[in-house]
Amino acid sequence: MTATATPARRTAPARASRGLWRDALARLTRNGPALLGMFFIVVFVLAAVLAPVISPYDPIAGSLANRLQAPGTAGHVLGTDLQGRDELTRILYGARISLQVGVISVIMGLAIGGTLGAIAGAFGGAVDNVLMRMVDVLLAIPGILLAIGIVAWLDRGLPQIMLAVGMTNAPIFARILRGSLLALREADFVVAARSIGATPLRLLLRHMLPNALTSLIVAATLALATAIIDVAGLGFLGLGPPDPRTAEWGTMLTDSTKYLREAPYLIFFPGIAIVISAIGFNLLGDGLRESLDPRLRR
Amino acid sequence: MALLEVRDLVVRFRTHDGTIYAVNGITFNLEAGETLGLVGESGCGKSVTNLAIMRLLPKPAGRIERGSVTLDGVNLVALPEADVREMRGRDVAMIFQDPMTSLNPVLTIEEQMVETIVAHRAASRAEARKRAVELLGMVGIPHPETRLRSYPHQFSGGMRQRVMIAMALALEPKLLIADEPTTALDVTIQAQVLELLQDLTARLGTAVLLITHDLGVVAGMAERINVMYAGFIVETAPTPELFARPSHPYTVGLLHSIPRVDADEGGELVPIEGVPPDQRRAPVGCPFAPRCAWRVEACWTDNPPLVPLEPVSTVVATGPGATHQIACHNPPLPEEARTGRPTRPGFVAAPPPDAVFDELAVAAPDLEGTLVEFPTNDAREGRR
Repeated sequence: MTATATPARRTAPARASRGLWRDALARLTRNGPALLGMFFIVVFVLAAVLAPVISPYDPIAGSLANRLQAPGTAGHVLGTDLQGRDELTRILYGARISLQVGVISVIMGLAIGGTLGAIAGAFGGAVDNVLMRMVDVLLAIPGILLAIGIVAWLDRGLPQIMLAVGMTNAPIFARILRGSLLALREADFVVAARSIGATPLRLLLRHMLPNALTSLIVAATLALATAIIDVAGLGFLGLGPPDPRTAEWGTMLTDSTKYLREAPYLIFFPGIAIVISAIGFNLLGDGLRESLDPRLRR
Repeated sequence: MALLEVRDLVVRFRTHDGTIYAVNGITFNLEAGETLGLVGESGCGKSVTNLAIMRLLPKPAGRIERGSVTLDGVNLVALPEADVREMRGRDVAMIFQDPMTSLNPVLTIEEQMVETIVAHRAASRAEARKRAVELLGMVGIPHPETRLRSYPHQFSGGMRQRVMIAMALALEPKLLIADEPTTALDVTIQAQVLELLQDLTARLGTAVLLITHDLGVVAGMAERINVMYAGFIVETAPTPELFARPSHPYTVGLLHSIPRVDADEGGELVPIEGVPPDQRRAPVGCPFAPRCAWRVEACWTDNPPLVPLEPVSTVVATGPGATHQIACHNPPLPEEARTGRPTRPGFVAAPPPDAVFDELAVAAPDLEGTLVEFPTNDAREGRR
C-alpha cells in the first residue's frame, strides 16, 4: 500500500465544486427565513415594477367624491385616502420610491464607504488614521439627524434623499471593509500569497477584497432595510419628495395621522408595506450572512 | 559560496511594550540541495529568522537591525521591495504551518496555482494550467484535472498541505522554507507529508530550511541541525553527530524531555525547569543560564560565542562533515548528557551574581524568610 492510497480513497468521489457563489446559493435556498425574506422582496420589487400594470388608477390625481372609502369597497381593495386616491395604487407606487431610493442610496454608500474603507485598509498607517477619524465623526452623528441635516442643507428632492441615506450608510460600510481588510492583511493565505511573490495590487484585488466582500454584501442587504425605513422616516418628518402629492410611504403616514380615528387603515397599510419590505431585506441579509460565512460552513 | 548565507542576523520588534530582541546575531550557511533543521521551542526566533529571510517581517514593528542574508550571492536585506517580490516564489518559497488557513478560501486551487506560475514566468494560462495539473499529480493528489477546480474547503488538511507544497515548488525554487509543515496535521499524515517533501526536494535538488520544535521531525529529515534558544544558535552539528553527542545543556535538556521507546537507565524524562527569558530585555550573559544545571559564574555575565566543540584547523560550515559547534562555558560531559543531570562530584550551579540577582528578583521576588500570617477564626475568637 503506498502512502497516497488512503487519501486517494477519501477524495475519490470528488464532489465537483460548482463554485463558491453557487455553493452559497445552494445553502441559501435551504434557509427557510431567508426564503421568506426573498419572497417578501420579490413581492416588493414586483409591486414597484408592475405598479401601472396592476392598478388602473392614477396615484396622484383622485376624486374628492371618492374620499375616505373603507377598504373592501368595490374597485378599491384597500380603500381610498383623503383626496379620494386609491390606497393600493399609492402603496404600489410608493414601493417604487422606496426601492429606487433604497437601492441607489446603498450603492452610493457602497461607493463612498467602500472606497474609503479600501484605501484605509489597504494603506494602513497615517492614511488609515485620518480616514477613520473622519468616519468616526460621521458615525457619531445619529443617522437620521445626519440625513435631516443633508436634506436641510441641499434642499428637498429625491437625489438629496438618496445622498442623505447613502451618507448615513457610508461610514458603516467603510468600517466593515477596513476591518475585514486589516484582518486579512495578516491572514495566513495573504502572507502565503506574498511569499510566492504576489504584488500588492494583486493581493488587494484577488486575495483580500473578494474575501472582504461577503461581509459587505451582508451589510449592504441589511442596509437596504434601514434605507427603506430612513426614507419613510424622512417622509414622515416632512422631508420627503418635494412634490407633496408623490406617493411615498412615510409621507402617506404623516398625511393620515390627523385622520387616525376615521381612517386607521390609512396608517395601517403603508405601515405594513414598510415593515414587510424591511423585514424581507433583514431576513435575506441574515440568511446571506449564514450562507456566505466560511466559518459557519459545514 | 553557499546557497544561503546568513551573517550576524539581528531582528528586533519595536512594540508598545518596548523592544523585543527576537534574533540576536545568528550566522549559518546552507548549501544547495542540503536540508537544515532549525530547532527550538516557541518564541526562540526560528520563525522570525524565516520571515527575515523572506523579508516578510510584519511592518512596521519588525526590523532587520544588522547582518546580511545572502541568497545566491544577492544580499536580500538591501534589495528593493520589487526585486524581493521577484525573488519570492522563484528563488525561495515557503510552506506554512496551518494548511487550513494558508489557501485563499474564495479562489479555486487552479486560480491560485495558475496565478503564481503566470506571475513569474512568461507562460500562457493554458501552459500554466498544464503545469498545475502536473504538479498536483506530483504531490500525490488523485484526479488532478478535476481537483484543480475545487476550492480549498473541499480538501482535507493533509491534501491542502500537499497543494501548498505543489504551489511552493511550482517554480522550482532553490530554497524551500518549511515552517512547522506538519504541526497541524495528524500523525499518520505527518509522515506522508514529510516523505513527500523529502522525496520532491531531493528530486528537484531544492535546499530545505526546516523549522520545527519537533526533534523527531528533524531527525528523520534534516542532514544538519541548528538548535536555537532565545534568538541565538546554541549548538550546530550534522544530525547523527548531534543526537550521538548533544553538547549544549539546552540540547541535552530537549533530548531528555521527549519520551523514547529505546530508553535505557538514562531514559528518565528530565524537564527543563523554568521558562525562556523575557525577550523584552537586551540579553546579558548566556540566555539559558537561569534554567541551566551546568552554569558557572561566567554564564551570568558573558554570553559564550559559537565555537567548535573540539579544536579544528578549519571550521566546516555545511555538509555532512560540518564542524560540531556549541556556545557554552561549561558543556556537559558525555556521561552527564546521557543522564541529563550534572554528575561531577561537588558541582553546584553557580548562583546569580548580585547585579543579575537584583534584576531577577524584581521579576520573581524571593519569598524565603517572609512571614505572612493568616489568622484563623479560632485565633480571632480566642482574642475576643
